Amino acid sequence: MDTSNTPPATATPPVEDGRVWKAGRLEPMPIRKLPDAPPSVHLLGPTVFLVALGVGMGESYMWPRLVLLFGPEIRWLFLVGVTLQAVVMLEMARYAMATGESIFTGAARVFKPLMWFFFIVAIAVYIWPGHLSAGAAALEQITGIPWMITAIAGLLLVGVVFTLAKVIYNLLENVLSLLIGALVLGTAIVAAMVGQWSDVVSTITGMFAIGYLPDEAMTAAWFPVIVGACAFAGPSGMQQMWYTLHLRDSGAGMGAHIPKVRGLRHAGEEEEMPNRGFMFDTEDPAEMAKWKGWRRWVTFDALLLFWGVTMLVTISFTVIAQSASRLNPGVREALLADDQEAALTAMSDAVSSAGSSVLGVVFLGFIALIGLNATLGLFDSFSRGQADMSFNFVPGAKKIGMSKLYAIFLWAVIAFGILILLFGPADGPASILDTLAFLSTFAMGAYCVTLLLVNNRMLPKPIRPRWWSNAIIGFGAVFYLGMLFYSMVAFGVVVG
Amino acid sequence: MITRHSLELALPGASIGAVAGAVAGGLTLFAGAPTGMAALSALALAVPLALFGGLYGVLLGHRVFRPGTFGPVGLYWMVAFPVSRLVQETLYGVGTADGVLPFLAYQAMVSLGFAIGFVWMHERLMPHWLIRRADDNPLAADLLAVYLRYARMIQARKGARK
Repeated sequence: MDTSNTPPATATPPVEDGRVWKAGRLEPMPIRKLPDAPPSVHLLGPTVFLVALGVGMGESYMWPRLVLLFGPEIRWLFLVGVTLQAVVMLEMARYAMATGESIFTGAARVFKPLMWFFFIVAIAVYIWPGHLSAGAAALEQITGIPWMITAIAGLLLVGVVFTLAKVIYNLLENVLSLLIGALVLGTAIVAAMVGQWSDVVSTITGMFAIGYLPDEAMTAAWFPVIVGACAFAGPSGMQQMWYTLHLRDSGAGMGAHIPKVRGLRHAGEEEEMPNRGFMFDTEDPAEMAKWKGWRRWVTFDALLLFWGVTMLVTISFTVIAQSASRLNPGVREALLADDQEAALTAMSDAVSSAGSSVLGVVFLGFIALIGLNATLGLFDSFSRGQADMSFNFVPGAKKIGMSKLYAIFLWAVIAFGILILLFGPADGPASILDTLAFLSTFAMGAYCVTLLLVNNRMLPKPIRPRWWSNAIIGFGAVFYLGMLFYSMVAFGVVVG
Repeated sequence: MITRHSLELALPGASIGAVAGAVAGGLTLFAGAPTGMAALSALALAVPLALFGGLYGVLLGHRVFRPGTFGPVGLYWMVAFPVSRLVQETLYGVGTADGVLPFLAYQAMVSLGFAIGFVWMHERLMPHWLIRRADDNPLAADLLAVYLRYARMIQARKGARK
């Protein structure tokens, strides 16, 4: 292992034995002990965030739409998308658990402008309140309260809650856990009531129709939509990068050596945030055994929670959409016209009118719940990511402190969101969501490249990714960027 | 006394099952189904789900299941959930259009999703209930010790923060 005995540039916190790991041009990481991995495979972890963020409009709207239009065979692309995201998740976790640093700091270790690129993309993509308005529109269908009022109230509520929270991570993990638990239980029950065996058979066999692309899919009208839907399979845009911040805050791996982010009201109690992560001794077999334990822990999370829940919700919503279109042909027409509100309403109506035990309101309730989950998760993650980058790389930002930076970004995005809702482009929620898709997809290709560079150049050899993992991430970069640019060159359209 | 101790452990699981069944039915009512029918249909799902949910808690207390592991719970609900749905459809449903076997097969698939949601919620609620009951109930105290052991490991990790 490439360690040296030069002490780190700053003396805080004190270094145990003076050894450091030099990675890139930034400050070297002191060598510390890796904590023990959780004793048993345990269900609750930071993956909650990724699931909350990932299960969004892609799963509840875009994919059911594609299935109704092109048939279930199109779902092989979903399988590819989500499986790719599970591997990305494992690789993001590798860097975050080994160093306690975010992937943004990792990117800065490779090449600082790379990190600034993500800083700017995050602002461009995530200040728009589109994700919120889709959920609020569903709530309007149920309660009759205009969606703008619910959306603004939701924004303020999120701000107040995160400002008052003592330790934000714990609060958010609890709230999101309950919401997701309710969503998963409810989706399962609704799907159990409205679906049939044949829907599932077609949905699942469709997943293995690898290579299937109908002629219509390769047109200027539809190819961009498919590219967008692939990018929205599972967590999209920068959500995977933010996951590294949640891992760190939950104390996973070397994240245990980094203090937590607090709400503004409790910012005064904040512990001093070190300006670089730590590394463990990868030549010590005992440390490597603990590392393997951490890898097992995160792999279980990736497979069962992330992959499993995402698949379940999408399959369920697809089944619901299929039964809805059987009952009401209007659903198919609304989907074809990409009228999201009309399609969701028609699906809900069809679900309600099916008679005995079927649940149109529940369906809309879930759309609202998904919107709420996404809002809670996105606002927190966005502020966390921007605060992390500002704290470490904007001169003078350290004086402000991590928790105050977090609050500044949080309230800025809330204020901007309210202004846009009131005075901004008011063409309705769906159009806002669509414009985000291009930058989102581009960022995903870019983070695959970043991951390859960071994990293969900034980590000690024994804990670098295996060749097959690199190959999958490399495929990811080609998949996202290739489809995006093919769409632009061949059809002159960005993603839809 | 032993029975009462066991039954106390059933409460969180039974509540999750009952609420999951009832909420679905209750909202059907909101959606405009005839009141009596919706209520009976909800009850017909809520009762079996509550029974199976409660049984899970009891079995957990007797160490048939281990806290926080998914595999066995998934298998458990793969049987319990289709049975519950069959009860509901038989009593107050529209009948099983495809025949009973495809119906059960479909429900068994969906049950895995239900199992994830169930165990997720159960892990959140059970420790709080155990803390309340541990003083009077030795079974609860034993099970709480398992959760505490895990919590201490986490605490030890966080305590190591500099």
